Amino acid sequence: MRQFILRRVLLMFPTLLGASAVIFFIFALTPGDFVDGSISLSPERALELKALYGLDHPAWQRYLHWLWQLAHGDLGFSLQYQIPVTELLDRYVWNSFLLASVVLVLYWGLSLLIGVTAAVRPHSWYDRLVTLLVFAAMSFPVFFLCLLLIKWFAVDLAWLPVGGMIATGSESRGWAHVLEVAAHMVLPVLTLVMLQAGSLTRYFRASMLEALALDCVRTARAKGLKERTVVFKHALRNGLLPVITLLGFELPGLFSGAIVTEKLFNWPGAGHIHIDTLAARDYPVLMGFTLFLAVLTILGNLLADIAYALADPRIRIR
Amino acid sequence: MGGIRFARRRLLLAAMVWGLGTMAAAQAAEEGSLRASDPSRLPAAARARHDVVVSAISEPQGIFNPYLFHNGWDENVTQVIFANLVGLDRQGRPVPQLAESWQVSRDNLVYTFKLRPNLKFSDGSPLTASDVEFTLTLLHDPKYDGETDISLANIKGGADYKAGRAGTISGIKVLDPRTIRITTTEAGAVTLPLIGGPVLSRAYYGKNYTPGHLDGVRTQSARPLGAGPYVYDKYIPGQEVRFHANPYYYAGKPPVPFFIYRITSDATKLQLFQTGEVDNDRFSINKDNIEQLKSLGFANIDIYNSSDYSLVEFNLKKPYLKDVRVRQALIYGLDRQKLVDVVYQGYGSVATEAVAPGSWAYDPSGVNPYAYNPARARTLLDQAGWKVGADGIRVKDGQRLTLTLLATRKLLTDALIPIAKESYKAIGVELRPEVSDFNALLAKRKAGHYDLATFSTSLINDPNEGVHDFLTSQSVNGYHNPQVDRLTVEANATLDLKRRKQLYHQLYQVLAGDPPVIYLAYRKVLSASSARISGFTPDIYNGIITSLPHLKIVK
Repeated sequence: MRQFILRRVLLMFPTLLGASAVIFFIFALTPGDFVDGSISLSPERALELKALYGLDHPAWQRYLHWLWQLAHGDLGFSLQYQIPVTELLDRYVWNSFLLASVVLVLYWGLSLLIGVTAAVRPHSWYDRLVTLLVFAAMSFPVFFLCLLLIKWFAVDLAWLPVGGMIATGSESRGWAHVLEVAAHMVLPVLTLVMLQAGSLTRYFRASMLEALALDCVRTARAKGLKERTVVFKHALRNGLLPVITLLGFELPGLFSGAIVTEKLFNWPGAGHIHIDTLAARDYPVLMGFTLFLAVLTILGNLLADIAYALADPRIRIR
Repeated sequence: MGGIRFARRRLLLAAMVWGLGTMAAAQAAEEGSLRASDPSRLPAAARARHDVVVSAISEPQGIFNPYLFHNGWDENVTQVIFANLVGLDRQGRPVPQLAESWQVSRDNLVYTFKLRPNLKFSDGSPLTASDVEFTLTLLHDPKYDGETDISLANIKGGADYKAGRAGTISGIKVLDPRTIRITTTEAGAVTLPLIGGPVLSRAYYGKNYTPGHLDGVRTQSARPLGAGPYVYDKYIPGQEVRFHANPYYYAGKPPVPFFIYRITSDATKLQLFQTGEVDNDRFSINKDNIEQLKSLGFANIDIYNSSDYSLVEFNLKKPYLKDVRVRQALIYGLDRQKLVDVVYQGYGSVATEAVAPGSWAYDPSGVNPYAYNPARARTLLDQAGWKVGADGIRVKDGQRLTLTLLATRKLLTDALIPIAKESYKAIGVELRPEVSDFNALLAKRKAGHYDLATFSTSLINDPNEGVHDFLTSQSVNGYHNPQVDRLTVEANATLDLKRRKQLYHQLYQVLAGDPPVIYLAYRKVLSASSARISGFTPDIYNGIITSLPHLKIVK
């Protein structure tokens, strides 16, 4: 097992190197750079600025420079925000994480519950109704769903705030602050859960259906075990196995930010960094953030593999 | 999203600019201000605020230094915190702020500023000519990478200092604590706003600064200190920026104790205003938004001219666009009125010259308006030798008249592309739009791979900014007209506004005869404020900044 993990960890490095090259050269290929975006600059001033930012060097030199920085644990300095990339990410990523982790727990819990109960009674009216509802929720356009919820709950009923993370000018501390943030989270969380629960519910249902058809389940029933024991002890454990991999994929999503939802609810998360920095060609941030997500993706995969190996002795490979 | 988001930097300034429409303009729609019809309908959230005004801002990035920001919203924040030596009035004319007065020598080269007595920064420390000297010297630092290009002011000795050949700038002389003299080597209207900008404290910013090392100053962007109407308290990223009234403000402490810039987005700013979360915001201008604001009852509405305008640039490096008749035909042949009607719904007008209504320099009389005239366009193209081919598209020497149009995704171009395609097809020109993001557009434009490119200008404070790019030495599109060069340089070197206005008027006429661009549209700005606040008199050059010291909570 230790050897397996060690090998996977060592494999991460060439993968990351490849990812860094892809990330760098894709951004290097996009036309225009940070200085080009300013139409009011005189050509002389533009050249001066390019030299100051090191944009006048050829791409391979800039790539090596970037790698050198990365090797020293330095993600670089944002041209646009004029702070280190790590500081910028630190400023927004945790808000996204807060939102995404609550959403993750809720929609995994909800999907598990719905998926399993639907699989136990396949093609019943309950199964059909639930399928219809989750698909309906999932197929709302994000933009429309956000605005609809805002209109109903924030403007017409005035139960919840329109957006943001705290009330304007709020100085609340302690529990009052927690409650205030919670109230601001309700609508974005509701939106994201509605949008994401659908597909996962289907995964759980399908996986559970397969598990219920396994020989061991038949054996368990034949032993005369209670239906509840059969479903939750024998079938569910088997049914959860393939879903572990999916959980690994969720890791980068916790930090990447939900672009549209965050924007519409004025949630101060990382989502808008993607758009802002791409429009401004703020390469250090773009590359740093993308690489950060790449690391999380690879890490998520690794964790999923390990968890899978722990849960299922059959796939423990050398 | 959507809306008028455009080139970042100066352009984004548009984020927070407000104003009162001025005379001029051939508009059908009403402008000016509409007072709230029923202030009693004020939402409870707004009613509960007793000592704070909340205005809106889009995307500040936290660089609160007037010379280091990269984004117009950060500029809006710095305008609250910092005060200028020289400001602008409602028509864009320079007016005294921290400077009590200034004198310019007869040859327009030497500026002598007299500061108001007893000026103080918001920490109570004195603001003197030495701080102005510090600010201007900092801008000449070889490592300075901000938006301000001080070299355009041509301060004597500035280039030597920057190159390290001199320890001080010979053209900057502090005569006494209230007087400073700036000597320049070239007369220019751009000089005054550059040297009369926001003043940095030498005591505060100087303590972390040695020439060639701006990092200390940069870290202070998170803790700004200035002499503006409000003092910076706190920035909560993605949420709001908080301020309190500056007791040392030169025009007296503002009556409302606190001020907040709340971050809003296009999609929900109306809901935030409606529920009373913000007291003042700016909205996309269209009939729906105006009707909705009116129906709230508690909204004071201001509609006024913006100082930017949209255009389509010709690439004169292409031989077929060198022919002035082809360019003229492309203007006559484009139904710009339809475009303006569709996009601005009566709150905009067809642009005719390189300055917007509301500026002191605006005067459309005698400038060819190029009213839509497809027949005229066809005649001009015939004269230029472009004959209609078998498929209806004109051909000359075996070449079809197919033009590429670079554009970005936004409301205006979404309407422009179909209208232009249709208009041009009718005169035998095929249009091929290429839509990309703004940075990519500029890169393609720079590489010269285009025939036409459409974009909007930055907000224009001085008319020189609108014509500067037409100078042979500056133009990206290969425009060259000696008469334009001469008039542009002369108009910039003239400081007397009356004389400048005449020169620009001549210049606009010459430009209309030999057009470097198709002017598309002037637009108006829609802003609304809550009836519980009095004193909002926004204009495009100052935004709400000049209103801040006069705001009062009325209810």
